[in-house]
Amino acid sequence: MRGWIRPVAALGLATAMLAVAACGRDADGTQNEGPGTAVGAGPATGEINIWAMGAEGEKLSALIEGFTKDNPEATVKVTPIPWDGAHDKISTAITAGETPDVALIGTTWMGEFARTGGLDPTPEDLIKPADFYPGAWDTTVVDGTSYGVPWYVETRLFYVNKEVAGKAGITAPPTTWEDLKAAFAAMQDKGGAKWGVSLQPGATGSWQSVMPFVWQNGGTVQKEDGSFDFDSPESVAALEYYKSFFSEGLSPSDLPQGSLEPEFVKGDIGAFVSGPWHIGILEEQGAAGEYELWGMPTKQSATSFVGGGDLAVFKDAANREGAWKFVSYLSRPDVQATWFQTVGDLPSVKSAWDDPALKENPLLSAFGTQLNDAKSPPTISTWDQVAAVFDDKMEALIKTGMTPAEAAAAIQEEATSIGTGA
Amino acid sequence: MAKARTRDRVARTVLHVVLGLGLLAMVGPFLWMLLSSFKSEGEIREVPPTWWPRDFGLTNYTELFDRLAFPTYFTNSVVVAGSVTLGNLVLCSAAGYALAKLRFPGRGALLGLVLGTVMVPGMVTFVPLFVLVSKLGLTNTFAGLILPFVVGAFGVFFMRQFILSIPDELIESARIDGAGEVRIFWRIILPLCRPALATLGILTFLGSWNNFLWPLVIATTEDKYTLPVALALYSVGQNETDYGLLLAGSVVVVVPVLIVFVLLQRHFVRGIATTGLK
Amino acid sequence: MTARPQDAALRRGRRGARLRRAVVGWGFVSPFTLLFAVFMAGPVLVSLAMSFTDLRSADVRDPLGVNFVGLDQYAKVFGDPLFLKASGNTAFFVLFGVPLTMTAGLAVALGLSSGLTRFRTLFRVGYYLPVVTSIVAVSVVWRFLLQPETGLVNSLLALVGVDGPNWLADPDLSLPSLVVMATWRNLGFQMVVFLAGLQAIPQNLYEAARLDGAGAWQQFRHVTLPMLRPTMLFVAVITSIGYLQFFEEAYVMTQGGPLNSTLSVSYHIYKQFGFGNYSYASAMSYVLFVAIVALSLLWFRLLKRKEQ
Repeated sequence: MRGWIRPVAALGLATAMLAVAACGRDADGTQNEGPGTAVGAGPATGEINIWAMGAEGEKLSALIEGFTKDNPEATVKVTPIPWDGAHDKISTAITAGETPDVALIGTTWMGEFARTGGLDPTPEDLIKPADFYPGAWDTTVVDGTSYGVPWYVETRLFYVNKEVAGKAGITAPPTTWEDLKAAFAAMQDKGGAKWGVSLQPGATGSWQSVMPFVWQNGGTVQKEDGSFDFDSPESVAALEYYKSFFSEGLSPSDLPQGSLEPEFVKGDIGAFVSGPWHIGILEEQGAAGEYELWGMPTKQSATSFVGGGDLAVFKDAANREGAWKFVSYLSRPDVQATWFQTVGDLPSVKSAWDDPALKENPLLSAFGTQLNDAKSPPTISTWDQVAAVFDDKMEALIKTGMTPAEAAAAIQEEATSIGTGA
Repeated sequence: MAKARTRDRVARTVLHVVLGLGLLAMVGPFLWMLLSSFKSEGEIREVPPTWWPRDFGLTNYTELFDRLAFPTYFTNSVVVAGSVTLGNLVLCSAAGYALAKLRFPGRGALLGLVLGTVMVPGMVTFVPLFVLVSKLGLTNTFAGLILPFVVGAFGVFFMRQFILSIPDELIESARIDGAGEVRIFWRIILPLCRPALATLGILTFLGSWNNFLWPLVIATTEDKYTLPVALALYSVGQNETDYGLLLAGSVVVVVPVLIVFVLLQRHFVRGIATTGLK
Repeated sequence: MTARPQDAALRRGRRGARLRRAVVGWGFVSPFTLLFAVFMAGPVLVSLAMSFTDLRSADVRDPLGVNFVGLDQYAKVFGDPLFLKASGNTAFFVLFGVPLTMTAGLAVALGLSSGLTRFRTLFRVGYYLPVVTSIVAVSVVWRFLLQPETGLVNSLLALVGVDGPNWLADPDLSLPSLVVMATWRNLGFQMVVFLAGLQAIPQNLYEAARLDGAGAWQQFRHVTLPMLRPTMLFVAVITSIGYLQFFEEAYVMTQGGPLNSTLSVSYHIYKQFGFGNYSYASAMSYVLFVAIVALSLLWFRLLKRKEQ
């Protein structure tokens, strides 16, 4: 088998030479592009290709009729793609220059995709930022320029078992940090629950549960100068508060996957934090009407996490004008209300919430109220990696003897070495 | 003598029982998957999991066939997996034969390259491969779905090992009789390879049938999706999963693989016997 | 030596034969080689080149505009505490998983090929089923098995008075649990390979051993095992290549936790690709490649020596 060494070595050398030939990067950092060129009035024409995930992809065709009535010379083609793998599909499409005109993009992906230079800045004339919830709008802004439009939103509230809360003697949702803890303790002492609340004990995605408390305490992810702020006294205090739920025995730290809903319905768990999708899940388990929703408690603010989906137009789009016109159509308050009724997605446009279907539904209007005070993480391209570090250290904080100050310092150090990808 | 026979019978019974218990453990999850595909969403999520469905219903299957354009996805999967398998069988046996029995310059180098590629972790070549395929203009085409996989380094290596064990005399005497190289390959070598071909066939088919990420990334319109992609599309959401649909789909997706396996497993077993490495 | 006309003709004949052999040989391999070069070797070379640069997701639209950084990415890999932890986990997985799976596969194959004459197809298909069952179904059932309170394993342990731990949530027990799960999942494939290998052993060897007075165990040690050596080598190499890249079990069951106790090198690479650190992930992949080659060579050395 020795005969192969020489050819392989030759190939290796060729590879090395190829690598050296790489020229090196030009100017660093993303230039602040400023808003996109105006699209202009007039109906849309031509074919508009859009990729959308999940139910949005499946049911979007229901909205197309209304669009083509006003824009008879335009056709809209929807390609549904699975959430599982959507991130990879969009990033490889940008890499190869094979993108559609419009795509639905998860809010936490915006920073990364915008930094590739593959997204088109939002034109000023068609879209008015003030129409949208500020937390949602912020998910589209990267380096001062907006690269998309929020389509639908979700935020997080406490789901509380009515029976357990009643037995614990709680008559109104707690409004301060101390009252919240006391409420959960009461649920265990008097309400008959094994655990007052189930919070995520670190690991993937836990930042979505912890950051709200940091924000409530006035902490931030990034300082004005762009450096990270994870070790500020406000953050440390929030981490301490979060850890205390576990160290004081109010929340389990090793709940097996899949046990949350059955135990909540049974009354073994008094409360948990989640978004609007749990309404459907609890209904399937036969628990409709047996729970209520509490907003976030107030420390300096009562901030929750906002996520959802944004619509973005690609730089490589074949039909840029048609694409933006379709996006603007989807952002009309009446279309957003119809969309909610078709698919159950909460509208990102504030005025759409005046629709009675939303206003008069007590559960959904609770989400609407919380949306007025909800934040998202900064749109840096390294957020995924920084969040993974955060999740890691949170797990160590809760499951080992690490102190909040140590955890905060560790997160700060690693996040700084990862950088903001600017 | 009689004592030995009863000892034999006891041993055999014990063997049957032990293997049977093991079989239950092996088959358990598949059985659960099958039974749960007939349950309601709420019952599937129950903890502890139930076995026999409380309310036996076909809703998951009707939803599966209603919502998904099933014939399209099924046909795509069959075409892609079938072509990849066929291509592998023909091209890898040809190359394997050459690497095993024919002497030609550069043979050692090629063999070394092939072996090396078998050991490269799959993930690392994904993006460069996609960029290449798109530059070739093959996105959203069947060619793009099939060509990158129609030969495999593993297949060549496997066939080479098998063909090594075919006696040289057979080939020599055919050559002396005046048979051309292609005829020798087609008439003598391939028929002898039937067991190995069956083995390679099932392995390749399984891999191609279940491939998810590549078909997802290559297709830009829904009509080019294969079954695994379509299944994920309709059952996995941003924050929650439709388990009923997913399980029903998983059952449907595994049936062709099982059929192919049962049909080929007789040859399959005989096949790997002679693939001992020299 | 004086050149003779016959020598020249002989040399010309030999060159002609060599040319003919080259044409035939390359004729057979060219379809494969062409496709291989384009779709396999090409991307490998490109990703290898990528590992010597600092390419990130932000650079994908301008890939040639990155900096050449030599072995920086590789140095970073070895300085990454998560990589070191993942390497330890992967080594544990391979060290225990490969022998366990091979023993289980061989045991089942022996059982199926000896006294068992009934339902052979059923057993073969049944033991192979985990290989083809969807990982989703597999993970749901295994999570149920390993549940701390209501799970089957702990219920059985409770019958003998043992208080079972929370298997998947304990950083010390999570990886061994996944090893057992992987063994369960993969022994079907190994069983099939061993079945074939066992069938290839000539019966007269066993008879000769029996005539010499060898019992069942001695027959196994002196006839079966040595004759199975080539098959074992094949299985060992294939399983090692697979287990060195283990990913699915951890991804679906524990997401690398708790506290990164089930993070494998492949999973770490996958995450890095997800973060957009393309060249770093490529470098890590090629470090893994070196480990795979090294382990394969080791198996060749260990199992190849004695040939019948």
